[in-house]
Amino acid sequence: MELRKLSSQIEAAALLDAGGGVAAASPETEGDRLARLAAELTAAARDIGAQDEVTRVEVELAEGAVFVLAEGGSTVVARTGPEPSAGLVVYDLRTCLRSIAEQQQPEEEAKSKPKRSRRTKSASGEPAASEEAAE
Amino acid sequence: MRKLVRLALLTLIAVWAWRRFFGRSGPEERAGISYGDGSSIVLEPGSPSFERLAGIARHALRP
Repeated sequence: MELRKLSSQIEAAALLDAGGGVAAASPETEGDRLARLAAELTAAARDIGAQDEVTRVEVELAEGAVFVLAEGGSTVVARTGPEPSAGLVVYDLRTCLRSIAEQQQPEEEAKSKPKRSRRTKSASGEPAASEEAAE
Repeated sequence: MRKLVRLALLTLIAVWAWRRFFGRSGPEERAGISYGDGSSIVLEPGSPSFERLAGIARHALRP
């Protein structure tokens, strides 16, 4: 995962899908742990603010920091050491989420694009009007 | 020139003393939440909401 290369302060990170499942993690052994952490923090944040959509949770402690960012159906959770540059870490995580969203968009567009209908000959032998001709 | 050196020295001692006695002693703890409607909350250390989030995070940060 390129996340840990992006920011030297990130010790572990995981990308979660819309259902909260681990899509990618670095190191891989921490994926489930980070997914549970993100779910617990997001649930607590929902309770605290009495709002459904949580876009960011940030907790900085003496022993390290935890960041959870959600955007476009994906969530990224990261753990850092003590006293991180919070702004930079959040920027890196957001950049990661946006690049993933951009990669997913063309795939979704390709999936949703209707397939062209084949030209079929009518009973008279003339080719039937296709969608292209109509345009 | 001597006055200038003395002034610089006094300034250095004053800055050191201020940091020593009034500066923060440990790493700062903080927590924040942002929501989809654009609003955000900064949780004050010691508040129940902060302790709730800190408890979850501490558990995950333990080696």
